[in-house]
Amino acid sequence: MNPEVVQAIPALVESGVLPPAAAPRLLRIARGELVSVHAELRALLYAGVLLLTAGVGLLVRQNLDRIGPVAIAAGLGLAAAAALVWVTRVAPPFSWQEVASPNLAFDYILLLGILLVAADLAYCEAELGLLGTHRSWHLLIVAALAGAAAFRFDSRVVFSLALSSYAAWRGVSLADAGAAVASAAGAWRWNAIACGILFAGLGLGLARAGRKAHFEPVAVHLGCLLALGGIAAGMQDPAWGAALLLAGGALAAVAYRTRRFPLFAYGVVAAYVGLTRLLAEMSHDVALGCLWIGASSAMVIAGLLAVHRRMKEPA
Amino acid sequence: MTPELGRSDRAAAVRAAARSWRRAGIIDAAALAAVENGFPDDRVRVGPVFRALLFVFTLVGVSGALGFVAAGMGGGRGGALAVLALVAGIALLALTEFQVGALRRRQGGIEAATSLMGIALLLAAAAWFLYEAEHLGRAPSVPALCVLAAALAGAAAWRWGYPLYAAVGAAAALAALAHLPAGRIVWIALPLAAAPALLRLSESPRLPPAHRSSAMAVLLVALAGLYLAVHVGSWDQQIVERIGGRPSWSTLVAPPGVPPAPADTGLLWWSAVAATALLPILLLAAALKRRRLPLLLAGAVAAVASLATLRHYLHLEPIWLVLTLAGALWIAVVFGLWRYLESGPGAERDGFTADPLLTDRGRQGALEIGAAVLTLQPGARSPGEAHPFEGGGGRSGGAGATGDF
Repeated sequence: MNPEVVQAIPALVESGVLPPAAAPRLLRIARGELVSVHAELRALLYAGVLLLTAGVGLLVRQNLDRIGPVAIAAGLGLAAAAALVWVTRVAPPFSWQEVASPNLAFDYILLLGILLVAADLAYCEAELGLLGTHRSWHLLIVAALAGAAAFRFDSRVVFSLALSSYAAWRGVSLADAGAAVASAAGAWRWNAIACGILFAGLGLGLARAGRKAHFEPVAVHLGCLLALGGIAAGMQDPAWGAALLLAGGALAAVAYRTRRFPLFAYGVVAAYVGLTRLLAEMSHDVALGCLWIGASSAMVIAGLLAVHRRMKEPA
Repeated sequence: MTPELGRSDRAAAVRAAARSWRRAGIIDAAALAAVENGFPDDRVRVGPVFRALLFVFTLVGVSGALGFVAAGMGGGRGGALAVLALVAGIALLALTEFQVGALRRRQGGIEAATSLMGIALLLAAAAWFLYEAEHLGRAPSVPALCVLAAALAGAAAWRWGYPLYAAVGAAAALAALAHLPAGRIVWIALPLAAAPALLRLSESPRLPPAHRSSAMAVLLVALAGLYLAVHVGSWDQQIVERIGGRPSWSTLVAPPGVPPAPADTGLLWWSAVAATALLPILLLAAALKRRRLPLLLAGAVAAVASLATLRHYLHLEPIWLVLTLAGALWIAVVFGLWRYLESGPGAERDGFTADPLLTDRGRQGALEIGAAVLTLQPGARSPGEAHPFEGGGGRSGGAGATGDF
């Protein structure tokens, strides 16, 4: 329901701003007589995929002995194959450019198929020891499979799964970031930074090559988050606070030049946290700390308002 | 809300519609510019990212400044801190009014943060006066605080047009009403009585868009309260009574060490069972009839909650089978709905369509990818170990076996 738009449409048609042919349908939408449930159906589909894969995960764990490995592996394989065959049948031809999804369910059935393949692979590896001592390599295989599927079927959701599976192979998961920061684990930190740089580089490479350039935001955002998170994980040492200040400042500067608003936000927050960490090292006085937080926030707000006049993010 | 702010919001609604027409290719850039000239923006606004940054830094900055003043006052004296909170709260609310009024800020982040801090500080001050200064204790203090929270949030929603405050105010009012002796009955009667009026208000052309959204927000909270009041699990656990600060009767009569018995298994209990099943259906039917998406989502959430309740009471096992079948059924139902809508004349049925229409697909895609990045996190291998297989399905079915499969 949008009464203002209902009121505005006839005047806009009369003044020639709005094509008369489009007006009846737009009026129906504004009056609430025609409602799209596109986004809602996709969200429900995603919830269904998560529900089903969670059930499959429990099935595998709880019924190893009762059902038997062959039945479980075959069942998972068949389900995955069914999903992927459907996807292959309806998929448009490959292109390096963005390809419109053939229908509402396409992305999520592909995701379901890949997740089932991943579960099957992990199960077979665990039961049969296919990878010998390199058991965690199944994450790398899943990353490669998901990456290939993402490129072939042009799915950014599956591409994000490929990246997070690769990071998991390197021992990094955003889900573990909090614990990693608390424990200041060195291996986690370096792997996160390396993965972050790799992902951001991959994204920029794709954009520069003009091949699946629309994957770039996924890779760059995940890469920046991982790299900044990795640096932040070392902040018990003030040197890492300085590194976070520099990295955040550099990211904010680049994002400012390229008008990348979310990246600018990551950079500003990271730089602020890094600077605050350094100042906390210099003084442990609570009142002074509060004064710094109050005054510096006011300065950041003033800076943001000044920057917004130049960047002009659409409201 | 001042008439000026209302007019500004109405113009913003038309501009937003025009931008969606532009995205859909219905109008060109020149036409969009014409609409923006015809419905000019007289407010100072910022985009969503800057808004979030300004909001967060305002919260942090005000907290730091208050911390500095409190530290200067010597810290621990409760009365002085309460006075500080009272003064700062009033000042922040006045600052919000100044920003929205004289500075003509809207969707700017800072004014939202100052209003939130102002309300929170006034509530903190009131809590201190009730608990510490008046020694009233929990029983009279909590409902009084809930009433104050409802009044402050409701006034902020009305004055500055924040639907979120309307929802919070409604929730606080329900929490206050739960303290009445017949709290559960009020939770049932009031939403039923108010729902038609709220639905009409949410569609009324006389109200500005923010107030219409506020009416819908209050309606959704009222319906959530109604569902909680009639829900069989809430009846068994006496949840409304617990919110009202009264121990459930079953815990009072149960001997020490013995788990409390269900509240009742008589007519009222069976009525709650029937209501738990029927309310989602009625909500969905009303949503389909009025074609209101928020109601449709509320009905869907209630339906899922009722199905989960059914599983709980019927002890449907094993859980993996329930989840797998529910997921498969869920996907099948969505598929069926999509096919049904697609096959209708003009790809629509009864005013519903699965086509995106004027959806901002860029923003929708970003949200979907964000959700996928957050939920599809395969358990990472531990450094230096071979990473044994663990089943699970815990974290949303990530790609790897570790931790999840």
